[in-house]
Amino acid sequence: MFYGGIDVGSLTAQAVILNENSLYAYKSMPVSSNPIDSASAVIGASLQEKNLQHQDLTYCVSTGYGREQIQKEGLADENISEISCHGKGAWWIMPRVRTIIDIGGQDAKVIRVDQEGELVNFVMNDKCAAGTGRFLDVMSKTLGVSVEEIGPLSFKTQKVIEMSSRCSIFCETEVHHYLQRGADLADLAAGINRTMAGRVMALVRRVGIEKEVTMTGGVAKNQAVRRELEKLMGLKMITYDLDSQLVGALGAALIARRLAEGKQ
Amino acid sequence: MDKSAVLQRKDSTGLFSRVHALFSILEKLPQQISEEELEGLFKVLPADSANSMRSLLKPAIQQASMPFLQMLSAALNDTATAKEQGKKVVLAPFNFPPEIIHAFDNLAPITTEVLTTLGVVSLEGQGERYWEYAMGLGLPDHLCSANTIDLGSMLSGIDFEPDAIISGCVGSCDVNSKTHEFVSLLLALPQIALEKPPDNTERGFKFFKNNYLKMIRQLEELAGEGLKLENLRAVAEKVNRCTELYHDLWELKKQVPCPVPGIFSLFVCATRFSMWGRDEGIKTLEACMEVSRQNLESADYGSREERARVLWIYLSYYYDLVKFYDWMEERRISNMGDALQWAFPEPLDLTSRETILDGMIRSAWNNVMTRQMGAASMSQRWIEDIVYIIREWGVNGTIYCGHHSCKQTWSVFSITRNEVLKRTGVPTLGLQGDSWIRSMTPMSVIQEEVEQFVNNVINKSGRRRRPKIKDTV
Amino acid sequence: MEILKNITTTIENDYVKAARASGQKIIGYVCLSTPREVFDAAGIFPYRIKALGRGDTSMADAYLSRFNCGFCRACLQLGLEGSYNFLDGIIETNGCDHLRGMFENWQHAVPRPFFHYIRVPHLIDQDSLQWFKEEIELLISALNQHFASGIDDQKLQGAIEMQDRVSLLMKQIYESRWEGEIKLYGHEIMALIVAEGSMPAADYLQLLDSFNEEIKNRKALDVRARIFMGGAATDEISLVNELEKLGGLMVADSFCFGGRVFLREAAAAEPVKRLAETYLNNLLCPRMFMSYSNRKDYIFNLINRSKADGAVLFHNKFCDLHGIENVKLKMDLEKEGLPVMLLEKEYGAGADIGRIKTRVQAFLEQLKR
Repeated sequence: MFYGGIDVGSLTAQAVILNENSLYAYKSMPVSSNPIDSASAVIGASLQEKNLQHQDLTYCVSTGYGREQIQKEGLADENISEISCHGKGAWWIMPRVRTIIDIGGQDAKVIRVDQEGELVNFVMNDKCAAGTGRFLDVMSKTLGVSVEEIGPLSFKTQKVIEMSSRCSIFCETEVHHYLQRGADLADLAAGINRTMAGRVMALVRRVGIEKEVTMTGGVAKNQAVRRELEKLMGLKMITYDLDSQLVGALGAALIARRLAEGKQ
Repeated sequence: MDKSAVLQRKDSTGLFSRVHALFSILEKLPQQISEEELEGLFKVLPADSANSMRSLLKPAIQQASMPFLQMLSAALNDTATAKEQGKKVVLAPFNFPPEIIHAFDNLAPITTEVLTTLGVVSLEGQGERYWEYAMGLGLPDHLCSANTIDLGSMLSGIDFEPDAIISGCVGSCDVNSKTHEFVSLLLALPQIALEKPPDNTERGFKFFKNNYLKMIRQLEELAGEGLKLENLRAVAEKVNRCTELYHDLWELKKQVPCPVPGIFSLFVCATRFSMWGRDEGIKTLEACMEVSRQNLESADYGSREERARVLWIYLSYYYDLVKFYDWMEERRISNMGDALQWAFPEPLDLTSRETILDGMIRSAWNNVMTRQMGAASMSQRWIEDIVYIIREWGVNGTIYCGHHSCKQTWSVFSITRNEVLKRTGVPTLGLQGDSWIRSMTPMSVIQEEVEQFVNNVINKSGRRRRPKIKDTV
Repeated sequence: MEILKNITTTIENDYVKAARASGQKIIGYVCLSTPREVFDAAGIFPYRIKALGRGDTSMADAYLSRFNCGFCRACLQLGLEGSYNFLDGIIETNGCDHLRGMFENWQHAVPRPFFHYIRVPHLIDQDSLQWFKEEIELLISALNQHFASGIDDQKLQGAIEMQDRVSLLMKQIYESRWEGEIKLYGHEIMALIVAEGSMPAADYLQLLDSFNEEIKNRKALDVRARIFMGGAATDEISLVNELEKLGGLMVADSFCFGGRVFLREAAAAEPVKRLAETYLNNLLCPRMFMSYSNRKDYIFNLINRSKADGAVLFHNKFCDLHGIENVKLKMDLEKEGLPVMLLEKEYGAGADIGRIKTRVQAFLEQLKR
């Protein structure tokens, strides 16, 4: 039997197919104009890779943006919040994990789970962009580098140009100011990543830390933000091999499997 | 849960302990320090502390800043040694006049906002770690940093705790009162609420006076002693000396150019909030007076060729003294101070316990924020005070700092700005920023706006505007 | 019910229109501390100012700032737009700093012919009660003077008795969610409460009667979780509705557009004193000081009696009173084992509803519902 999980984010959409015991197939692609098209495309591509049809999925769960509409369109049997899905997915990969820091394009969440991977507590950022992928996106454009480069750039320097403001609008002005004065891109990138980590840490404090800790979502790929967060928390986060952006869809598929079992 | 990670392991001490430790060193400095000695001092101090001391100890004001630092040190010592002296510490907000606490043998006052400002001014990393701790509890980020930084330190369980809290802002500031209540509930500390009704009539004053007298009874119970007339009178005499000096400084501010350095407004309000009615407070104000008088005589000081006389109509920014007070002086902008020094004190009638208390209660009723934001109309009383001061001191530009936590002033800022312009012709610049947290709005942005305001609004016609002098208040 | 729909979606509803047509005076108020019986006794229509979830504040932002509560800004917006031009007067109360600012700006920008300030104390003690009693007397005398209302003890007593009847019936409807099958949603209760401040008392009593009859014939609702909601001043019926669609039914609340409207406990017989006690002693709002334990006990009691599975505590961005108190309540409720979620939101946050729903859905999942 196969179980599906679909996670549509603000920038990318992911799908995961599980069989009884393992990860069977997965896909990630940029989102299109509406979440239903994105969901349809990404789950379609995953199924196609294994020559499966949608009806081969015993149960499918949608999460992320438009999760309700995706269910209403018949692409999923149930919709679950991305908070539960990221918690469940991370716990399945690393059963020791209890705190998950999930940073996506628009949102940042800190999630606490129990020994069964069930949600215990969580906090999500307010509307401010400063602790989300959007902040890195804007800052990388200001620096004139790609968002993927902003993490590695930090490792090229020992110097950090501290941003004096936690606000993304003021940070942008400040970066412009430093660039005009000929500041080194790497030093600025290090400052930007540190600011980002500081904002996320404000959320971490609200939920509290229980070891082990890991990161999911697109920003988890930024090693510099990860390093700064580790410094702030005073611990090492655990890592895993899977693409960090797939964790939400994986969690959705795991919940699909549990729900299907519950219905039997 | 790994609590140490939330508290940050480096925070082994709280704000009070760290500030007290630093001031224990500063109080040992000689009355006059040479420039070489100062440079040496700046090298050993952490960067943030050195930055503040660079402004506070500069030769032009050193004569006043040494007694000022010693006064603060004495206030901190009172708190630190209270327990061993059998005294109880009463925490109060800035708008609560502390002289009544000074009149008790067994009580010592400490002011939330003074502690926060000292932390921000003197500690490396300023007060942000304590703010972040409070945020970690789930408190909203629109609270007042002046309260939350110090109280965050107390809540972390790593700092000293007072024996009681006076909520002296009930009726004039929700956020302050509510934060004090939160701390008293969490730390299980007795809370005394002093309510001011929004009624400017004698009926309102009578209600306030009754509340104040009830508060004295609660303080007597806490102290385990009655309020003694001889103590009250001794404090009242010193309060009157402070009042006299306050008005002397006020008069000097009418001089053009203004001979009173901008940073003295910080000295005056810190005195009002902590050591009003104590010898240390008198010494600070006398020194401020002396320096200002010398400035007037020598005609050689800060903003001597002033381009503008700017009044901060509520708060200023207190996290970078160099880039705030010194910067304005360098640009020949006379900083006429902020509303925190608008205490409007009157001499106390020393005839009897009743007359002294009546005067002290009127002082509390008229103290900053209580008087304006606790009035029947927040905007009306605020406007009246601003207009009066503009005319008294010949102010030609006013600035509202726009701390996001000041919901009451923000809510009537629009009316106030328009009305002040209408009545005096003096324009107001509205800024946004946190007065105690540097990472909210960078000082460079604030400086740029102030500069533009002075150049393009106050001095736009190439000549300085003077306030209209018709229809006096 | 059609009439309820009209009242909860229209500021100038059919009752307001009828009152205007008959020449009846209408006075606006906001806070629960306003004794509506005084207006009822004067033959004046007391109308509770609200914004019905409308988030537009474009004009109001020129007066209040973006650091002020969205509910107050939204109400002021409606005042500036002219939606409240039917008011013959406004009652100011010092409910909170934002509200004080709202009234000052309102009266400054679009003054109404009658404006009166009820200075409500922040403590509950004998001196405060006496002060508040005098405030009610000042209100009566201001109304008598301006409108020649002729308010006397007999009329006040009649109005008090009418509100007692309303309260009794409303309590019955409110608590019907606590035992046996649930037949009505929490957002319907909120709609009924919004209606309370939008129509004359006698008509409201009739509305409650018909509503009570109507729900008896309804089928039981499928409830995923029983949720207590509390916090900021809000009349956002549609927000509660959206959240209930996720499966968490609001079984009790502590909103000021909620069950607190019907708290009536008072001992005094003399009408004005009775009103002072009713409106001050039962003012379970965080704007009150030295009485946190009263509010906590009230909420604990509601949660126990309604058998709530969890609590969602809201605060409008920049509302310090609720923002701070909610943290303390969360700590105390969690100590008793109740899961609690704090939710900071903008008033009338249509654009942000997706993010709010994500959090509430996750909370329901956390409750394993």
